[in-house]
Amino acid sequence: MKQSPAEQNLMRNLGPSKFSAEGFLGSDTRPFDEIVSEDLRSLEQKRVSKEDLVAALTDAYEMAKQALGGRVVIRPGVTAVFKESMGRVPSPFRGDGVFEKGEAVVKDEEGGHTIIITSLGIHLIKKHGFFQGKGSRYRIEPERAIGIFRLGPVPS
Amino acid sequence: MTGELLLSMALAVAFLSGTGLVLSAFLILAERKILNYGSCKISINDGQKELSVKGGAFLLFNLAENDIFIPSACGGRGSCAYCKVKVIEGGGPIGPVEAPYLSPEEQQDHTRLSCQVKVRSDLRIIIPEELFLVKRYNGLLERKRSLTYDIVELRIKLEEPDTMDFVAGQYVQLESAEYKGRDAVMRAYSMSSPPSDKHHIELIIRKVPNGIMTTWIFDYLEEGQRISLSGPYGQFCLTDTDAPIVFIAGGSGMAPIWSMIRDMKEKGIERPTTFFFGALTQKDLFFVDELTKLEEELPWFTFVPALSNEPEDSDWKGERGLITDVVAKYFPDVSKHEGYLCGSPGMINACIAVLTEAEMPETCIFFDKFA
Repeated sequence: MKQSPAEQNLMRNLGPSKFSAEGFLGSDTRPFDEIVSEDLRSLEQKRVSKEDLVAALTDAYEMAKQALGGRVVIRPGVTAVFKESMGRVPSPFRGDGVFEKGEAVVKDEEGGHTIIITSLGIHLIKKHGFFQGKGSRYRIEPERAIGIFRLGPVPS
Repeated sequence: MTGELLLSMALAVAFLSGTGLVLSAFLILAERKILNYGSCKISINDGQKELSVKGGAFLLFNLAENDIFIPSACGGRGSCAYCKVKVIEGGGPIGPVEAPYLSPEEQQDHTRLSCQVKVRSDLRIIIPEELFLVKRYNGLLERKRSLTYDIVELRIKLEEPDTMDFVAGQYVQLESAEYKGRDAVMRAYSMSSPPSDKHHIELIIRKVPNGIMTTWIFDYLEEGQRISLSGPYGQFCLTDTDAPIVFIAGGSGMAPIWSMIRDMKEKGIERPTTFFFGALTQKDLFFVDELTKLEEELPWFTFVPALSNEPEDSDWKGERGLITDVVAKYFPDVSKHEGYLCGSPGMINACIAVLTEAEMPETCIFFDKFA
C-alpha cells in the first residue's frame, strides 16, 4: 500500500537516522501500524493493560536508576542494572520532546531473558503503543515483559 | 474515431501539464515576490552586535553564517532542543515543533529554539556572551586510542584555525560525518587536554549503545581523518578562590577534571584538592597511573578511585562502594570546600545530595552533567 508523506517521514525516522544509529525497527519489515496492533493484541490476549505494563516498566527503570550502576532485585529471580549515558535522545515522533539516555538492563535469571528499558522506550509504548520492531535492541516483547513482571490475572 | 479519441487524450494531457506548469511557475514567483521578506536586522544583546540578513531563513542558520555558533546537536531539525536563545522581539508565535521543548517559564521569558524561528522581520535576541567567542574549526585526528573497553580518547590537531583559546572545563561540539544512512549530528564533549596546548584538543568519549555519534567515532572514524567542530562552549571552570576542592567524576566525566588538574599544575595553583573517581570495576578505570604519579608529585593533590561493583575476591586494594558513600566517608564536613562534578545525571544528583548534606553551600557546587 502506498504510504502518505507523513507515514514515509515516520518510517524514515524509525530507521537508522539522526534519532538512532540502529533505528527502532530492528529487522522487522512490518508496517508501523501492524507492529503496534499486533503487540497491543498480545497484551489483550494476556488480559494485561498497556497502562499496567508501562507502570511495571517505569518502576523497574526507576529502581535500577536509583542504584547508580549497582544491581537491584526487582522481584525474586529478576534483577536490573542501570547504565547511564550523558545527554538526551529525541523521540522519532515530531514534537514528543527529548528523553534521558540511560538504560535499565532487566534480567530474568530463571527464564534467561533480558529486556532493556529506556525512558524513550517507555514513552513510545505509553503514547504510541509502539514496542519497537522485532530485532531492535530496545524492543519490549510484550509476552516476555508480562512474564518477567508477573502481570495479568492470577491463575485460579 | 480512434484518431479523435487520441487527439482528445493528447489535448487533455497537454492541458493538465500546462496548468501544472503555470501553477508551479506561479508558486515559484509567489515564493520569490510575495514571500520576499527583504533584508532583516538581528540585534544581539541590546545592540552589542547587529546583523543584516536576507529574511526567510531560520535564525540558527543566519547566526551560523555570521560566525555565531549556537550549540545544536541535531543540525537544526528541531529535535535536540539545544539551540535555545531568547527572542525578545520579532520571533512570531511559538510553533508546534518547539512548544514541547519549552517549559512554561521559558515560554514566559521569550526562550525559543533558534532552529525553529524564521527570520521574517527585524529581531531582538539575547544569547550568552561566551558564544561570541565560539568558532568553527577543522582539524585532523592525530590519535585515537582505547582507554577502556568502551571509552576512547581522541587527539585532534587544529588546522583551520590552528589554535583555540579555552578554559579548562569547557567543551566543544564535535560534528560527525554521514555514514550508512545515518545523518550527520553534533554532540558536546569536554576537552581533557590542558589549555596550554593551543594547537591540539583531546576528548574522552564513552560508547553509547545505538548512539549515532559514538558509533561513528568507534566504528568509522580513523586516525588521519579530517574532523570538524565548534567551540569553546560552557562555563564549567575553576573559580579563582582559595577554597579546597572536591572533584567528583565517573566514566568520561573524567575529561574536564583531567584538564583542570593539569592546568592547576602548570599554573602553580596549589589549592588542596581531592579527586574522587567512581567506576564499576577495575576494567572501567583509566589514567590511574598518571593520576597516581601526579599524587606523588603534588603535595596538594589526592586521588581516590572507588569501585562499586568490583568482585569481593579481586586484588583491588582501593576504596569500594558507591562514590557518594566514599565522598561522605572522607569528608563529613565540606562547608569550606568547592565541589566540581562531571558525569551522568544520576551520579551528579546523588553527589549534590551528599555534598549539601555535608554542609557545602549550593553556590559552591559546580557541575556539567550534559543532561
